[in-house]
Amino acid sequence: MENNSAAAFIQLKNLTRIYHQGERQQLVLDGICGEIQRGEAVALLGRSGCGKSTLLNLIGGIDRPDAGDVVINGSCINRMDEHGRTLFRRRHIGFIYQFFNLIPTLTVVENLLLPLELNGWDLAEGRRRSMALLEEVGLAQREASYPDQLSGGEQQRVAVARALVHRPALVLADEPTGNLDAESGQQVLELLDRLVRDEQCTLIMVTHSQVVAARTDRTFSLKQGRLVSDGEMVW
Amino acid sequence: MNLLWRASLRYLGRHPWQMALSILGIALGVAVVVAVDLANESARRAFDLSMQTVTGQATHQIVAGPKGLDENLYVKLRRSGRLPASAPIIEGHLAYAGQTLRLLGIAPFAESRFRDLLSHLPDEAEEGVLRQLMTQPGAVLMSLERAQGFDLSVGQSFELRHSGQKRQAVLAGRFEPPAEQKAVMRDLLVADISTAQELLGRVGWLSRIDLILPDADAAELDAIRELLPPGARLIPAAARGTAMQKMTHAFSINLTAMSLLALVVGLFLIYNTLSFSVLQRRELMGRLRVLGATRSDLFRLVLSEGLLIGTLGTLLGLLLGILLAQELVQLVTQTINDLYFVLTVRELSLTPAGIIKGVLLGVGGSLLAVVVPASEAALSPPRRVQDRSRVETGARRLMQPLAWSGVVLLILAALLLLMSKSLAAGFAALFVLILGFSLLTPLWVSLLCRCGAPLFGALFGSPGRMAVGGVQHSLSRTGVAIAALSIAVATTVGVGVMVESFRTSVQQWLESSLQADIFIAPDAPSGTGYETALNPAVVQIIESLPGVAGIRQSRPVEIQSGDEITRLTALRLPKESYAGMKFLDRPPEMVWPLFDREQAVIISESYAYHHGLHAGESLELETDQGRQPFKIAGVFRDYETGQGVIKMRMSLYRDYWADRSIHSAWLYLEPGVDIDLMMERLYRLVGEQQALHIRTSRILREASIKTFDRTFAITHVLRLLVIGVAFVGILSALMALQLERSRELAVLRAIGFTPRQLWGLVTAQTGFMGLISGLLAIPLGLVLASVLIFVVNRRSFGWSMDVVVSGSVLFEALLLALFAALLAGLYPAWRMSQTPPAQALREE
Amino acid sequence: MRAVIATVLIIMVLMLWWLFIPQPAEPPKANSVVDMLGGEADAGFERAEQPRTFRFPQDHGAHPGFRSEWWYFTGNLETAQMRRFGFQLVFFRNALKPGEVDGESAWRSKQIWMAHFALTDVQSGRFHAYERFSRGAIGLAGAQPEPFAVWLDDWSVRQQDGQWILHAAEKGLSLTLSLVPLRQPVLQGDAGLSQKSAAAGNASYYYSIPRIRAEGEVMVGDQTHRVTGGVWLDREWSTSALGEDQAGWDWFSIQLEDGSDLMFYQLRGKDGRADPHSSGSLLLPDGELIRLGAEDVKLQPLGYWDSPKGGRYPVHWRLQIPSQGLDLEVAPVLKNQELDLLVRYWEGAMDISGTHAGKAVRGQGYLELAGYSED
Repeated sequence: MENNSAAAFIQLKNLTRIYHQGERQQLVLDGICGEIQRGEAVALLGRSGCGKSTLLNLIGGIDRPDAGDVVINGSCINRMDEHGRTLFRRRHIGFIYQFFNLIPTLTVVENLLLPLELNGWDLAEGRRRSMALLEEVGLAQREASYPDQLSGGEQQRVAVARALVHRPALVLADEPTGNLDAESGQQVLELLDRLVRDEQCTLIMVTHSQVVAARTDRTFSLKQGRLVSDGEMVW
Repeated sequence: MNLLWRASLRYLGRHPWQMALSILGIALGVAVVVAVDLANESARRAFDLSMQTVTGQATHQIVAGPKGLDENLYVKLRRSGRLPASAPIIEGHLAYAGQTLRLLGIAPFAESRFRDLLSHLPDEAEEGVLRQLMTQPGAVLMSLERAQGFDLSVGQSFELRHSGQKRQAVLAGRFEPPAEQKAVMRDLLVADISTAQELLGRVGWLSRIDLILPDADAAELDAIRELLPPGARLIPAAARGTAMQKMTHAFSINLTAMSLLALVVGLFLIYNTLSFSVLQRRELMGRLRVLGATRSDLFRLVLSEGLLIGTLGTLLGLLLGILLAQELVQLVTQTINDLYFVLTVRELSLTPAGIIKGVLLGVGGSLLAVVVPASEAALSPPRRVQDRSRVETGARRLMQPLAWSGVVLLILAALLLLMSKSLAAGFAALFVLILGFSLLTPLWVSLLCRCGAPLFGALFGSPGRMAVGGVQHSLSRTGVAIAALSIAVATTVGVGVMVESFRTSVQQWLESSLQADIFIAPDAPSGTGYETALNPAVVQIIESLPGVAGIRQSRPVEIQSGDEITRLTALRLPKESYAGMKFLDRPPEMVWPLFDREQAVIISESYAYHHGLHAGESLELETDQGRQPFKIAGVFRDYETGQGVIKMRMSLYRDYWADRSIHSAWLYLEPGVDIDLMMERLYRLVGEQQALHIRTSRILREASIKTFDRTFAITHVLRLLVIGVAFVGILSALMALQLERSRELAVLRAIGFTPRQLWGLVTAQTGFMGLISGLLAIPLGLVLASVLIFVVNRRSFGWSMDVVVSGSVLFEALLLALFAALLAGLYPAWRMSQTPPAQALREE
Repeated sequence: MRAVIATVLIIMVLMLWWLFIPQPAEPPKANSVVDMLGGEADAGFERAEQPRTFRFPQDHGAHPGFRSEWWYFTGNLETAQMRRFGFQLVFFRNALKPGEVDGESAWRSKQIWMAHFALTDVQSGRFHAYERFSRGAIGLAGAQPEPFAVWLDDWSVRQQDGQWILHAAEKGLSLTLSLVPLRQPVLQGDAGLSQKSAAAGNASYYYSIPRIRAEGEVMVGDQTHRVTGGVWLDREWSTSALGEDQAGWDWFSIQLEDGSDLMFYQLRGKDGRADPHSSGSLLLPDGELIRLGAEDVKLQPLGYWDSPKGGRYPVHWRLQIPSQGLDLEVAPVLKNQELDLLVRYWEGAMDISGTHAGKAVRGQGYLELAGYSED
């Protein structure tokens, strides 16, 4: 990703998102602004249904805001067309979900290879990289297993590896430990923490756990569609 | 291999049932199309080849009326020096050991430029064969295969039958045709023209004279025509083949249309399967989108899956089709022999065109069917969870536009029917109608669900309500399945009503037209009626029988003019038979005097329809005295032939044609004469003279109805196949539906539904779908029947008939739909009730 | 002498089979031909065993009791502008079996007919030859004495108003002549019995009308020429004729301006030597008929023509009959007069010049060369 010295790595400008349910409208995000620096690890806290995932989807280019802009490293991704966003996402962003979202019909290593293939990596190179990451997450021996043969914690470790395998600049994690027991969750978090720093990625992690949030550089909360930093209103 | 593809293939591999069913559906559809095409094509090729074998290099032919050409015309032409390349031919059919053999009588010295019939004699043949052929009465050549089959050796005498009379023949030699002509020449007898004239009882006559006039201009042809007596005509050699092909044209179009119907149902199936598989993978598609797969990646992916299924199905379909064609071709041949002319089709001719057609239809149709699900896949948003209610909301939103386009299509179908009078337009309208109807189906289903929910709720409690709700909830899928099933059932209703109406009309017609007591005709193979005749001695005996009140004598002939063959029947009618004719547009007391005294004919409804003729107008016929006009005294109802028939009184026929033969006779007995005794007497008196069919009218009627049923046997088979395809369709749709809902069902199990209750739920749901299909099929079926009766039948054959709708046909349709649906629901229901809830719940 | 044409006719019957075959298979085996010709004839046929009384016009008609028979017309024609034509029209009859036919159909026949028609057009250097086949039934082909007619399709010679009208035509070609015989029929051999080989019965009945005046039209393309000229008729019928070792023959018919008519055939053995049964006759202007034997005539080839189809024909001869003071050079008007038909042979119009009894003499004639083609 091109460097941009002055501006922040991620800029959220007056982001607004409204859900339509029949006649009723629900303001989920109400003019959110904010900046995140390169290499920062940020936690996003809030209650169920407060719009954390929506915000994450907007940043990831999966959803589009009704108003406002998402600028990542100088590119305003909501202004891109569908195809442009897909290519941007494919190249620069890694996703981690609560329910792992591995491709059930691909083996562990194939799941890692898929983003690389989409990005046009050399196959041998991709394989080396994938195996190295699997080594890191401690699942190198399980490379030929299918996701449903792994435990939840193992699946999430694979998901972490997959999110990082194509060296994205930004990793978006949506409740990565929400579906895991405490021990596995801890393991995944440590892994994520270590890898993000090793790979010099920016991390935005949605969680409702203060404990998890405490591991990050900064914490935001979403309340009534607005962003609150460290317990107080910033804007 | 690309990982996306790998994922996709593994997905298909994990759903072998769905995969297998949709492959089977396509395969059945393609198989029916290919089989019908092959059967049609084989019949056509066999016909072409046999025409080619007997026409050879001839470019033109001189033909004449039913009696044929006076043999002296050939001598006159030869001695004029105008036609050095000319060959006389006499041909006809003989029977031996239950087999119909075609006899070609040739003049060997004139032949060499025309046909290479004599080139296929094996080495054992020497000049002795030609000497024998030309000098020995009864000497014939036969194919080696037949001779071996009959266990005849060269030099052996055997007895052939023509027109019920015995003819002595000697096997002069056996020919071995080359592979491509084997099928055609297998049942061919070749003889010198002298022998052929004697065997066929046509001494003094020729069937035709073949000519080679490669670049004759109009003036040259006219100069040749100058030499011909009135009644003899010079025509292009291809004309006869064209004319005969024309007769079967409507028949083969009808078959093709039926087969396309099966394919349409098959396409519904692939659409259903793939859109289901897309739906099922919506979440997965979403994950892929998140990972950066583009829309075109996914579109291509699903398209490729369709291509894969389509290709596999098509390949299997081709194989099945070839197997099926072996059976179908027999049915097709049977029908052609019953209705049109003698044709033997022994070999299935696998033409690349037929195969390519099947492949294009199968693969192309599959791609077409998969475009919608593929677009659906491409439009999958990159969200991690996509609930299906959103899809269903979309489907429900689509319901109205779909219904509207359905209405537009129905209007289009109506317009098509009104604007064009062609048979093709009739079929096109039929298909548009079906398509329009299927677009309306979701709307109907939705309406019926709303009505059905309280009913099912009352009947089965909340599982009943849930069952109906499930149908409506998954409209995008159930709609398609119901449409496919109802089209299939409607087809059977339509065809069933048509056949039944037809059969009833034919039965009534037979009752009224076959009122004579006893029917007498020579014992001859079917399709050869035009060349058989009662022995004059037999006619004499019949005419002098005491106890006979009246005799109806008939002589059916075929008259060729241009590339059309007209069927004409000359009749000597006793007064008793007048009542049997039902005239359509004039009272009989107006028709009969004209028919009896004037230069007038009566024409069948089909003939009138095809030629746009009406009573009071006139038509022209090629007689032995040139083209002559005849008044049309009346139009009568008749189901004998699809291209129609002209009837003329015998005396008028004999004024214009040099033909005195009588083909058959009907006897009207005096009151009180015992039919059985009379039959016995007839056998005693004429049995020596000629092998005859002597039957009572009742038996004849039964035989006619049997022939009718045999003719429609192929229709029944196709109907069953269409249902088969639909059954597979509904099975796969239901399975897909139930599997898709496995989680929901597991929850039900978890909250306390017993397996039996669950089974009931699923069964109620499939039963409901079957019921809806059956209900929707009835109106569509009736519309289809109307189109078949008033458009397709009318345009193909010119027949009108009374529409007969029996409750049983409709009831059967309902039952069929219900049964098919319930049967199809068995496995999914069983599977659902067997799955432990935990497992289903655990499946993510 | 066309005895061997009978061979040809029978070979033809055999070959008809091969004609029907796209790629001709092996030609019929020689021994079967010899069996049919030289071997025992079918018992039912009549045979030429002793001289008979010839009666005319009856003998102009067919003799179906014998296996084969022909009517052989050859002639030299000329327009007023001296444009030369030669023609040949021949009808062959061959019986497949002796006896009457059975059955009702008028088409059944035991008689097979073949006709050859050839025209030599000297000025354009073209030679045309055609053949026809038919059965001798229902009026397609046949011969009758009174009024005389022999025909196959539209090729015919028919008596009309005391004349014979000869007609033959093919696409772009036609010949119509009226014929008036100038001589009585000449009985060849022993009062008409012509012995062909040593075995008894291997003989034919043979007569000729050596000088027939012809007048009529030749049409070539779209041009019609009025012509006059002289025609020679050979009539012969037999059941079996040829010996086993005979290979071919050279047949001469010569009409000299001094009024003499000469016919001579030289039979050749398979060893290439002249056969002792070679024979002929010289009819002098005063009507004296001199029989000629093999030893009376000296024949010497002067020139050859190589057929593009194979075979070398001696088309140019010197013919000497020392006992008659006759020394003639026989030269073709055209070298290529080969009939490339089912059976290939050479038959053509000839110019004659030389001396007769010390006086220079010219004439015209026909030469037939058989057994030279290599197929």
